[in-house]
Amino acid sequence: MTLEIQNLHVRTEGREILHGVDLTVKRGETHALMGPNGSGKSTLANTLMGNPVYEVTEGRVLLNGEDLTEADPDERAKAGLFMAFQYPATIPGVSVANFLRMAVNAKREEPIKVKEFGAKLGENMELLRISRDFTSRYLNEGFSGGEKKRAEILQLAMLQPEFAVLDETDSGLDIDALRIVADGVNAMRGEDRGFLIITHYTRILNYVTPDFVHIMLDGRIVREGGSELADELEDKGYEWVREEVAAGAG
Amino acid sequence: MPAEFVEARRRAGLEVFEAEPVPTWRRSGFWTTTLRGLDLDALEPKRYEPGLPELDLGDEEHAALIVQRGANVVHVDVFDDRVTVMPLEQAVEEIPERVEPYLGKRLPLDEGKFSAGTAAFWTGGVFVDVPKNEKIEKPIQVVWLIDEPGTAQWAQTLVVVGEHAECKVREYFLAPDFEGQALHSGAFELYALPGAQVDLAHYQDWGRGEVYDLSTRRVEIRRDARVKWVPIHLGGRLTKQTLDIITAEPGSDMRHTGMYFTERDEHLDLFTTDKHEQGHTTGDTVWKGVLTGDSRASYEGLIHIVPGAPEVDTYLQTHQMLLSPKAKGDAIPSLIVEVDNVKASHGGTVGELDPEQIFYMMTRGVSRAEAVRVLVEGYFEEVVQRLEDPGLEELVRRRIAEKLKGAEDQVREFIGERAEAA
Repeated sequence: MTLEIQNLHVRTEGREILHGVDLTVKRGETHALMGPNGSGKSTLANTLMGNPVYEVTEGRVLLNGEDLTEADPDERAKAGLFMAFQYPATIPGVSVANFLRMAVNAKREEPIKVKEFGAKLGENMELLRISRDFTSRYLNEGFSGGEKKRAEILQLAMLQPEFAVLDETDSGLDIDALRIVADGVNAMRGEDRGFLIITHYTRILNYVTPDFVHIMLDGRIVREGGSELADELEDKGYEWVREEVAAGAG
Repeated sequence: MPAEFVEARRRAGLEVFEAEPVPTWRRSGFWTTTLRGLDLDALEPKRYEPGLPELDLGDEEHAALIVQRGANVVHVDVFDDRVTVMPLEQAVEEIPERVEPYLGKRLPLDEGKFSAGTAAFWTGGVFVDVPKNEKIEKPIQVVWLIDEPGTAQWAQTLVVVGEHAECKVREYFLAPDFEGQALHSGAFELYALPGAQVDLAHYQDWGRGEVYDLSTRRVEIRRDARVKWVPIHLGGRLTKQTLDIITAEPGSDMRHTGMYFTERDEHLDLFTTDKHEQGHTTGDTVWKGVLTGDSRASYEGLIHIVPGAPEVDTYLQTHQMLLSPKAKGDAIPSLIVEVDNVKASHGGTVGELDPEQIFYMMTRGVSRAEAVRVLVEGYFEEVVQRLEDPGLEELVRRRIAEKLKGAEDQVREFIGERAEAA
């Protein structure tokens, strides 16, 4: 059971952003994808989910062997992919609870029973230390940055996808909120789930230890290793990677 | 003996009707509302036998129900005997002293051919009188029904809500899907006397026939009275309406929240005025519209604060959403403030569904069609909830969902086009 990204080339607004990305995430693994701003991390995340703004010109995305490269976002979700957005959209007029129920039911044949849904929601809200009144608010309307991120992780917890991409979920969170989110992610890690954690900083990786680290630069993955690679990056910075790559190429 | 005040008004109205040409309404920009397509001579008032037609009004229960079909009232039911609800023709005969002080008071005859025509030609009609200090819990329902092409319906409704009385008034405009033309030329007046609290809604769903609706609706709010007014427009071949809500004395307050959904080749032209005639009055106007098909919709909302009306606090917002590449619309807020020391503000937006919102919802497993439905319903929810009437809210939500289903293909095409262009 794997998420495979093969030789992915992606364009947007007339410009190629990803120049052949290969990355494989197996279930049970947690990968970190790190890179400076503009390196193409969010483009990769959005392309994985089928954002129509991004065009795949070459390469494929496979989930458990099934080619999802041309699939609509809802088909990808049903196949088991999830993304926690860096900047989630506001959905006016739809409460958090109603949105969650709709999302949960989208993947089921029979709608979830009210009691079962309530119990699950209560449990996950406790896990993420979210207060009760939160679920009656319209999704992301007037939410602080931290509240938006927590709402994303709450959706992750409710939907229990096979593969989750977290797009800069750590950015804009204070230490306490970061810990809560990291605890939530850790609680969901396990044999039957894969994570791809996209981040600019190493700090979330102090709480969620990755099995593999990939460093992206200018639309390519240029370094790969274990969690020690993140530590090295923390010490030396992205300039170090850039210089190494330049030296290697020269 | 017909009451002389009514006859005099009919004569004066007829004079204006005959003198005035069939109007065309033009405004700066692309906007024109024309009646060129309407064959007025082919229409006539049609009379029907008494009886209650089958109706879906959202609410099962009511304090009173009065139904006019074509040119005459076919059904009157008054469950709550504290209220007077009867054909206006009858009220003019039996209780002229309660009609005369109000009929036409806010409807001068110099406002064009069709308002004058309504004053001249109305038949049947509706009179509602809620006595002072009474609290009427259940809605008073007024229904205007056109169920045949070729119908001309000249409609006059007069509502008087007594001092410190409380009530809910619902006026419905309904037609089945027929082939051919019809006219509803309507006049509605509501007087909220001092201290009254009125919850008013208009529900227009003229179906797929060619119904032309040319109407003027005015609400006058007296000292310390409050009116909440929710007009809902869900269909009609051509609608040209003037909706005015007037805070006429200090302490009066209005909440005016409306919505429209246009489809196919419908044409909607709304002009609303939030008029403050006295100081220390408050207002709040929000209008939201959605356009599909080849439809045209124009909403212009004016806040008018007259000289000598200080300490007014009011605002107006108008939003419009296009769901089809062929639909065209505008939403124009404007202000005339002839006095200092007031708070008045306005804003307007015209936009499309945000592809980012649709993408976001789809990543949660929701289909594109469902995402569009949820987003449009969410957009209207602010207005629908202001009805504070679960039965009617449900009816509105259901109709919006049905209309969206009908527009699914063009919405998909439109969203796809936008995404590719991005």
